[in-house]
Amino acid sequence: MKKNIVTKAATIATALLMTVSFLSGCTGTGTTSEVNTDPNVKPTEITMMIDTCMTPENGLQQVADKYKENTGITLKLEKPDHNQYYEKVGLAFAGGTAPNVLELGSIQYPTFASQGALWNMADAYASSDAPVKSIIDEAYVDSLRIPGMDGTEGLYGFPLAKGGGTVTYVRQDWLDKLGLSAPTNYNEFLDMLRAFKTLDGRSDIIPITAAGLINGESPYEIYLREFYQDAKPYIYKDEATGKYVDGMSEAPMKEALQRMQDAYKEGLIDPEIVTNKTSTCRDKFYADLVGCFNYWAGSWAKTLDENLVTTVPDAKITALPAIAESWYIERPSTSISITSEQYTSNPIGIYKYFIEYMHDGGEGQMLFTRGVENVHWKKNDDGTTIALPYLETPDKDVEKSYMAPELSCTKFDDPIALDERVTSSLETFYNNRKLVPYPPVNDTINVENAELDTIRKEVISKVVLGQLSAEEGIKEYETRANSQISAILTSLNG
Amino acid sequence: MFIPVFAQLWVFHYWPMAGIRFAFTKYTPFIQPQYIGFDNFTRLFNEPRFWSAFNNTLILSIGNLLLSMIFSVGIALLINEIGNAIAKKFVQTVIYLPHFLSWVVVAAIFTIILSTQGGFVNDLLVKLGIIDEPIYFMASKDHWRGIWYFINRWKETGWGTIIFLAAITGISPDLYEAAEIDGAGRLKQTWYITIPSLMNTILVVFILNLAKVMNVFESVFVLYNEMVYDVSDVIKTYTYRVGLQNNDYGYSTAVGLFQSVVSLILVTGANWFSEKINGRGIV
Repeated sequence: MKKNIVTKAATIATALLMTVSFLSGCTGTGTTSEVNTDPNVKPTEITMMIDTCMTPENGLQQVADKYKENTGITLKLEKPDHNQYYEKVGLAFAGGTAPNVLELGSIQYPTFASQGALWNMADAYASSDAPVKSIIDEAYVDSLRIPGMDGTEGLYGFPLAKGGGTVTYVRQDWLDKLGLSAPTNYNEFLDMLRAFKTLDGRSDIIPITAAGLINGESPYEIYLREFYQDAKPYIYKDEATGKYVDGMSEAPMKEALQRMQDAYKEGLIDPEIVTNKTSTCRDKFYADLVGCFNYWAGSWAKTLDENLVTTVPDAKITALPAIAESWYIERPSTSISITSEQYTSNPIGIYKYFIEYMHDGGEGQMLFTRGVENVHWKKNDDGTTIALPYLETPDKDVEKSYMAPELSCTKFDDPIALDERVTSSLETFYNNRKLVPYPPVNDTINVENAELDTIRKEVISKVVLGQLSAEEGIKEYETRANSQISAILTSLNG
Repeated sequence: MFIPVFAQLWVFHYWPMAGIRFAFTKYTPFIQPQYIGFDNFTRLFNEPRFWSAFNNTLILSIGNLLLSMIFSVGIALLINEIGNAIAKKFVQTVIYLPHFLSWVVVAAIFTIILSTQGGFVNDLLVKLGIIDEPIYFMASKDHWRGIWYFINRWKETGWGTIIFLAAITGISPDLYEAAEIDGAGRLKQTWYITIPSLMNTILVVFILNLAKVMNVFESVFVLYNEMVYDVSDVIKTYTYRVGLQNNDYGYSTAVGLFQSVVSLILVTGANWFSEKINGRGIV
C-alpha cells in the first residue's frame, strides 16, 4: 500500500514537473544592462570563441597571458573542435553564454549579422584614429559591409586577414618532361591534361582531381576554376540590373557543365570526383597519381611540396597562373565579430583594445600572428628573428598563433621570412584573383537553401557523370528547385 | 533504493523530454522560442525530400535489422560448433574487431577496396571477365544499398553474436543428450533444440533493436554522396543538412519527435505481434 502511494506520488510529481517545464519559457539569452559608449573605457575581461588559431597544446594560453601582460585585460579563449565550431557557437547563443568576440566565416557571418547577433562597428571604425586605419587594405574591410537585421548596411566584423583562395597546382616536373609550358587558355589546359594522362605509358594517372564537383559552401565554384570559368552556380546580384538572379539557369553554367562532362568522359577529371574528400585528393597527389590539383594558395604550397617529395624526390610543383578564360576566387575575409549589446556591455572598448590592437602593425599584431617571444619565436644574436618549434610537434616550426602572416591584410612588417613556395603561390593567386562578396542571407534563404544546395549538387553530378545532358540537367534543376528559387528570388527582389 | 533510480530516470530521461516543446516553436540561437503551432510539422510533411528520407530510413534500417538477426544467429550457431577452445576464441576475436573501428575508418577502407582506380573488387571483377569497365560502386544507385548492408554486417555481425552465444551456453545439455539418444544429428539438434531455445532472446533483441531503427546516421553519413541521395538519404542525414547546419532547432526537434513517434509505433506493434504469436511480449 505504502509502496503504491510512493509510486503514485512520484508519477504525479514527474507529470507535474514535466508539464511545468513544457509550458515554461526558455531561460534564453543573456542580457546586459548598461552598454558603454566611451571608447576609452578599457574592458577588464574578454571572452572569445576562436577556431583557426594554434592548438591549446601549442601555447594558446601563453598568447592570452601575454595579451594580459601587455594590456591588463584578461582574455578567455574557448577553442572548440574545428568540425564542431559553429555548432558550439550556436549552442552558446541558445544557452545564454554567448562570448564577447567570435570568429565567423562563410554563410555564418551574414547569418549572424542578419539575426541581430553582432555589433555594428562601422561608426567605431570610421571615427577611430588608430594605426590600423592607415595600414589596412580597405577592400577587406568593405567586403564585410553587409546588411544587418534591419536591412541597412553595417560593419559587423573586422577582417581577420585576407580571404585567401585556391590556385591550380601542377606537376612542374611532368610539364618539363613533356616539354610543355604552363597553359594560358582552356584548350592548352586540356592539351596539358591529355598529355598527363598518357605520361610514361602509365594508366593510373589522374590528370586533374578535386574534392567534389562543387564546393559545399560559398564560394561554390572555387575548385575546377578552369571548367567553371564565368559560370555562377548560385543566386547572385546582377550588378547591371541590381536584381538577384539564379546563375544555375544561365548560359555560362550550361557551358561549364558541358566542359566538365566532356572532360570527365575523356578521363581527364578524376573518375571518383564525386566521392573525393580534400584528404583523398591530397593523398592521391602525394602518391604521384595526380597532375593538377586546385588547392589553397599560401602555406599549403609548402605542405604539398614537402609531402610529394617524400614519394618522388625529384618532383616539383608550381602554381599555374589562371588561364585566359578564368580567374581565381578570393573568399571574403573571415571576420572577428563582437556580439551585440544584448551580450556584450562594452563592445566599443573591445573593438579598441582587442581588435585594433591585434591589427596594429606592431606589438599586438606580432603577438596574434607569430605568438609569444621565446615561446613561439625568438630574436637571434645577429638581429634576425626566427620561428621556434611548436611545443606539441617540435619537428615543425610555428607558422602562426592566430592570424596567418602570409595573409595579413595590414602592412605588417613580419620579421620572420616566409618560405619561397608560400610567397610564390600567393603571388600567382593575387595576380589572378577576384574578391567575391558574402552571399545574401534572409529567413527564406535559411529555410530553402539546404534543399537548393542538395538539388544543385545532384544535378551537377548527374550531368558530369553522363546520366543527363547539360540541357536536361538544367531543366531538371529548374523543375525540382522551382519553388526554392522562386521563394528566394521573391524574398530578395521583392 | 527508489530515490537514486528515480533521480537518474528523472534527470536523464524524463526532464529532457520537456524539450519536445521546441518542436512547436520557431527557435534559433538568437531568438527566444516562439510558439508557431504545427508549422514545423506542416513544413516537414510537405517536403518531398523528407518522405524519401523516411522511406530510406525504414528500408535501410529494417533490412539491416533482419540481416543482423539472420547473420548474428547464424554465426553464433557456427561458432558454437567449433570444438577447439583456442580456435573458437580466435574466431570470436577476429569477428569482434571491426566493431571497434570508427565509421570514418571503415568508410575509408571500403572506399579504397571499391575504388575504380586499382580497387580490389573492381580489379578482380575485370580480371575474371565479369565486367569490362570498373564500376563506380559508391556513386551507383543500383549498388549503394547492397554495399551499405554488407559493410554494416561486416562491422557489426561479430558483436551481435555475443548475446546469442551467451544464450546458447544457457541451454541445458540434457536436451542435447536426450536428442542424441533419440538419434538426432548436429543439424537436427540445432533446428529442434538450439533455435527454439533462442527464440525468446531473438525476440527481445529484435524488439529492442527495432526501437533504434530511426536512429541510423553515421554509417550513412560517411558513405553517401549526392549521386545516391535518392536511395541513401535518411532522416538523420536530412535533419543534419536542413536543421542543424541552419541552426533551426525548432524544425530539428519536430523531425526528432516524429522519429520517436514512429519508433514507438514500431516497438508497440512488434510487441503486440509477439503477444499474438507467442502469447507474450517484452514491453
